[in-house]
Amino acid sequence: MLCDECNLNEASYTVSLMMEGQITTRHLCPECMARVNTHMNAQTVKTLLSSIMAAITGERVASAQEEEEEDDLNSPACPRCGMKFSQYKRSGKLGCPACYEAFREQLRPMLLKIHGRVQHAGRRPLCTEAAQRSRTRQEELSREMALAVSLEDFETAARLRDQIRALAREEKEAQP
Amino acid sequence: MKENRIMVSSAIRLARNYEDFPFDLSTSPIQAEECVSRTANALTLSGVTGFELIRLDGGDERALKALVEEGLISGDLMRTAETAAVLLNRADSVSIMINEEDHLRIQAVTSGLNLQTAADRCFAVEDALSRQVRFAYDEELGYLTSCPTNTGTGMRASLVLHLPLLTRAKQMGTVGQIAAKVGLTVRGEYGEGTEALGDLYDLSNQVTLGRTEQEIISTVTAVGRQLMDMELTLRENALRDDRLRLEDEIYRAQGLLKGARLMKLAEFYPLWSSVRLGAAMNLLDYSLPLMDSLLSMAQPNHLQSFYATLPEEQARAECVRTALDSGR
Repeated sequence: MLCDECNLNEASYTVSLMMEGQITTRHLCPECMARVNTHMNAQTVKTLLSSIMAAITGERVASAQEEEEEDDLNSPACPRCGMKFSQYKRSGKLGCPACYEAFREQLRPMLLKIHGRVQHAGRRPLCTEAAQRSRTRQEELSREMALAVSLEDFETAARLRDQIRALAREEKEAQP
Repeated sequence: MKENRIMVSSAIRLARNYEDFPFDLSTSPIQAEECVSRTANALTLSGVTGFELIRLDGGDERALKALVEEGLISGDLMRTAETAAVLLNRADSVSIMINEEDHLRIQAVTSGLNLQTAADRCFAVEDALSRQVRFAYDEELGYLTSCPTNTGTGMRASLVLHLPLLTRAKQMGTVGQIAAKVGLTVRGEYGEGTEALGDLYDLSNQVTLGRTEQEIISTVTAVGRQLMDMELTLRENALRDDRLRLEDEIYRAQGLLKGARLMKLAEFYPLWSSVRLGAAMNLLDYSLPLMDSLLSMAQPNHLQSFYATLPEEQARAECVRTALDSGR
């Protein structure tokens, strides 16, 4: 029998879990079993820590499960593929392109942490051949400009900069 | 060229997804198939030639693994073999992997330090495709990818560097920390975890959002050049202060590679590293392209396709000896 988790390796463990009052049985391979174990240990440590914290401060600290529930309350599932934010947090992968729109507010701080910035710069899709040609030309010109700057030929660099700006303006105006 | 002494290869990879499909198509064979045919048709319609469509399911497994060894397709693509395909242009080392982690991974590899050429090849393919199809794109977040760590440009620019003396000087940990500060990462090219077999490292950008493709390429190139200068300085010092020991190591390694009749892959890497070092320092008369091509030739599946009748270790020794005897 193949592992229920990865569907790749032969399953050699059977795990029964109590979930929402029902017992579910899953067959796992050693690799996935190890992952489940680490996950569970991490969870136990986290619960333990939060109960200690709660005892010290007298406040209740949200458990991981409550945190997930809160995440899901704050953002409904993706309208297109049905993924919940808690599912993303567990797998690190989003369900479909529409998830980015559905979870935009929660993703922003995460993206800021990973990339340091949250505003795309760089290439964008261009459908027409004319627009693509214009962009190729802009890229050529900016390489020439960088060369001119390195040779301290600022007059040429300024001329190239104006050409690039003009092309970029045309491209913007041509956008639907 | 000075760069070739250190830089083995350059690669660019662009992640792109179709707007109307979920990211993971491994359990939806019909959509996965449409993803393959849509890509192949778009390429044909825009008049791009030279690409061959290879399906992984039912394909010659050894030939496919040899493509992984050459770096033309990723090992991850083999993991979704049932639905995956690749459009491959061997002449230019350009591949479009379909149904991997993202719908499309457009990749180009070149030898030496040549990220711009690799990028231009990827962009040409992308431009041709985008005339026919629509990729998932957002004005704020750029090209949308399955994993948010790739969103934005969706671009990974990587350089493979040969850094034997920096490794020996135990400088690679520091190098990794410095690289991380500018949004780059350094990993061993071959081997598991922190291991870097053959003293080969992969330097690539971690950050994909908020920087243009040109900025990413410039940063990776600049840091690559810095590492090159550090390594070259160490090589000069070694030649000045400890020439005998250095020559001893290099000529011994050459002797083993040329004399051995059986060779394990684990034995091959450090010997290869010393001989490549010797060739790059003009102590040995082997061309660097020959040395670098040995890296994929000595891998198990490659050997099998050329020396089908020989056991792996014997085939490797034979392959390496023949290459070194041919010299250039």
